[in-house]
This record gives sequence, structure tokens and C-alpha cells, in this order.
Amino acid sequence: MEYQNVLTTCVYCGAGCGLYIQVLDGEIVGVLPDKEHPISRGSLCIKGWNATSFVTHPDRLRTPLIRRGDGFEETTWDEALTLVAERLQGIRHESGGDSLGFLASAKCTNEENYLLQKFARAVVKTNNVDHCARL
Amino acid sequence: MKVERNITMSESFEPRIVAFLCNWCSYAGADNAGIARMQSPANILPVRVMCSGRVAPEMILRAFRSGADGVLVLGCHIGDCHYISGNHRTAKRIPLLRNLLGHVGINPDRLRLDWVSSAEAPKFASVTQEFVETVRSLGPIAEEMGG
Amino acid sequence: MIEDVRAHVAEKLKELDGVVALRQTAVGTAPYLFREGDDLSQLVLGPRFPLAPIVSLLQKRYPEARFGIVGRGCDARALVEMAKRKQVDADRLYLLGMACTTEEAEECHCAEPAPDIELWPWAELIGSPAEGGAPNPIVAEYEDMSLEERRAFWQQQFRKCIKCYGCRDICPECFCESCALEDPLWVERGVLAPAFPTFHLIRAMHMASRCVACRQCELVCPAHIPLTVLYDLIRRDVGDLLGYIPGADIATPPPLSLTLEESPMRIELE
Repeated sequence: MEYQNVLTTCVYCGAGCGLYIQVLDGEIVGVLPDKEHPISRGSLCIKGWNATSFVTHPDRLRTPLIRRGDGFEETTWDEALTLVAERLQGIRHESGGDSLGFLASAKCTNEENYLLQKFARAVVKTNNVDHCARL
Repeated sequence: MKVERNITMSESFEPRIVAFLCNWCSYAGADNAGIARMQSPANILPVRVMCSGRVAPEMILRAFRSGADGVLVLGCHIGDCHYISGNHRTAKRIPLLRNLLGHVGINPDRLRLDWVSSAEAPKFASVTQEFVETVRSLGPIAEEMGG
Repeated sequence: MIEDVRAHVAEKLKELDGVVALRQTAVGTAPYLFREGDDLSQLVLGPRFPLAPIVSLLQKRYPEARFGIVGRGCDARALVEMAKRKQVDADRLYLLGMACTTEEAEECHCAEPAPDIELWPWAELIGSPAEGGAPNPIVAEYEDMSLEERRAFWQQQFRKCIKCYGCRDICPECFCESCALEDPLWVERGVLAPAFPTFHLIRAMHMASRCVACRQCELVCPAHIPLTVLYDLIRRDVGDLLGYIPGADIATPPPLSLTLEESPMRIELE
């Protein structure tokens, strides 16, 4: 019987509005604006109010998928990562690092997105980095 | 939903009125007015509902946004509702919505509630005629609602 | 006042399953369910959040549990209206009522800055009720405004609306599972600002007999639309037409779905 509000920052645009995620017994039950946030000051846009809707969305993937033929097949992380690593290495070898692009995501943490761009620049040696918010 | 003006340079303003008519009383009354060849204005666009209590504020507001210069809601007399008390809700709801329209600067006389039974064909004719003239004097809705 | 509240909550937590109140931590202040053994020095009284919907949520999840709430006048009124609509069980709720200060009442233009604990089966009040704050000056000026002036005012205000639905999401009385404002029949999708005056008038009509003037909608609006002016007007209309004041007592059922015998109107019907 635990109810609390967990402070976080909205994942969507660059404004970075403060919001609380209402959590009841470990389950997300809603969102409240952070009334003390110096920028958002207790307001949210429609995306902020619905910032948690993707967490338990029924369309959310549960396993990695590999395209085979016309469709997608469920697979393991090992198989998926191995395939991705081989193919990216292959493309980089043939056509150079700049033939690869990296798209970060609003639904990743800032830290995960940082890692992605670090990987792009330092390992693959390309500056082709962007974010889904700019699509 | 674009709101269109009804006026052209050479014609006078012909208001467009959406009338929500309840199936059991006012719609039948309108029908009887037609059968009896009574003069009812052609400005009326009837929408038959099963009960005037069915008419939600959303529907009335959509009618205005779609270009209705006036909205008429006609139901059974209190005590005669086919569903006993449906029209009681209409009786409470419409005055509140009229007031709200006035609060945001839209003339509340553009919305009218009246009771017309199936036997009151002459009342249907006179209420609609009166209402068309009232709305004509108020001008097109576009002037109050914007584009 | 705050020490009083904490002491009362500590005492009550021995018999209740939890108390809904505001908790301040190192990162911020938000509603929380205090349980026996929690650090009550974290319990604070502001900033104001709508607490009534949280009680409703908890009671539905735990139908046998008994909860308490540290509530201001607005929280209590919201709970009254929710109780009438079967969203809150007043018999399983302990209300630790809190009186707002005169400054707080003025800031909110609040006429009843303390819960009326006479209404509640299980309640007590901390602090003495302050005088009600003066009404919002815009409402007073409203009577003298012409139709054109009102229209210009609201067209300018509603033009700012970004359809965040914050007013609806924060409102304690908005618990409908399917909302008319999300129905594309009435409110067009993908159109900003929403067509005048549909969005706000639908909301105001749906707030008739529900709005308890907690003012959370106006606080949350990113466009600073003075929503409480519109809702104050509908509250007054419902009072004039039906003699009904939301939040005033638990016994009187909401009038709009009642018959005219059960809830007569105060104007003549032809």
C-alpha cells in the first residue's frame, strides 16, 4: 500500500518540464506537474501530461525483432546484437563511417543518448547523430 | 468546421436554424404542420432525436460552429415526455447553456427551448417563424463566432 | 499549525492505513501516502495539489482500507462532490481539516477557506477559519461588460489555449472514463487554438454542478487563461437556477440528472 510521487523530467522536448510520476504499489497511475519547477512552474503540455503512456503501452516491444522476408521474427538480445554489430561493421568497412547514421530517442534517458552519440563519434567515427524529436 | 456567412450583396440575410425535434412530440408536430400546409419557414434544418433530453450541449455548440445562426430545441411539454422525465433535464440544461453563451459574448437568444406537442402544429409554425425573425435581427453567427 | 497537523497525523496513523498529505523531500514537494513509521517532519502544507482524486484512487484499490487526508476547504468540497458521485466513500475517510490563512484565502479568492467539518462523519479541524477572500475582480466587472466586450475578452483568452487538457487532467471532478473533449465529433483534432468557444464551453457545461472552485485548473494552465472566471459564472448560474452549491453538503444530490420534482428550478417554465 505505497503511494508516492517520483520527480522526473519530461522526456519529450528540450524545455525539460518538471513532473511527478504517480506510483501506486510500483505501478504508474498518473502524472502531476511539478509546481516548484523554475521553468514549467506547475504546467505541462499534452505530451507531458501523457509522458508515461508509453511505459505500459500494449504496442511496446517485449523482445528484439529481426526482419526476415516480409515480416518480423522474435529473437534474443544475443542474436539481435550480434547481427547488428556484424552488419554495422560490414557497412563501415565497405563504405566508411559516414554511411551510418545514429538516431537517439526521447524514450531513452539522457545518459543512454549520450552513450549513443559517443559510440557514433568515437567508435564509428561519424558525426551523423540526430534525435527523433527532430524528425 | 468553417463558419460561412449567409449574406451576399444583393440578398437579405436568411438565417440557417438547426432545430432538434423530439421524435414523439415536436417532430410529429412539425410533420403535422407540413401535412396541414401551414407556413413554416424554410430556414429550419430539422434533426430528429428520440427525446429532447438527448440534446447534449456539445451538439448545440457544433451546430453553431458548423454555421447555424440559431439553434432551436423543441421537446414535449413537461409531464408528457415519452420517457417520463427526459425533458426535465433539457429544461435545466438549456438555460445554463444560454447563460454560458452570453458569458462569452454570444447572444443567448440564438438558442431557444420550447415545448411543442404533436397536436400543436400551429405552435410549431409560429415558434419557428418567430425564431427565424429573432435570429435574423441578430445577424449571422460568423460575426459572433469568428472564422 | 504545522506541528499541530503532524502531531494529529502521527496519532491517527495508529488506527488508519495511511494519510494523504504533501511530502517535502530533498527534490521537491508532492502528494504522498504517509504510513505509520514514516518521517512526519516531511509533511508540509504547500504548494497546493488536488488531493481528493488520490483518496479516490486509493479507496478503489483498497476497498476495505481506512485512509485519512490533510485537506483544505477546497479538498473537502471536492471530496463532497466525489462522494455524491460514488467516487469516494466518506464513511471510510478521516478528514483532518486545515483552515487556510487570510492571505491564502485572498490569493485564491476563496469564499470558504476551511472545510465544514459538520458535514463529515469523521473529521476535525485545525486552525480557525479565516474570512473568505474577496471575489476575483474580473467577475465583479463582468456584469458591466457588453456582449462585444465579453466576446473580445474570451476570444483573446481562448486563442492562447494549447489544448494541453491540463485543466481537465488536474480537476478533481473530472473522472469520466470517456471524455467529450476527446471526441472528434465535438472537438476537432489537430486544430490549435480550438475553435471558439467550443472546447471551453463544453468543459464549463460539464463542470456545472461539479466545480468546487479549487482553482487548480487556472494554476495549471500554461497559457494563464482565467478559467476560474468562467467557472465562477457557471457556479453562480447553477446556484441561481437550481439553488445548488457544489461542495456545500453531502446529502443534496447533484441536480442536473434529477427530475424537476426532485430538484425544482427557480425560474418559470412556460
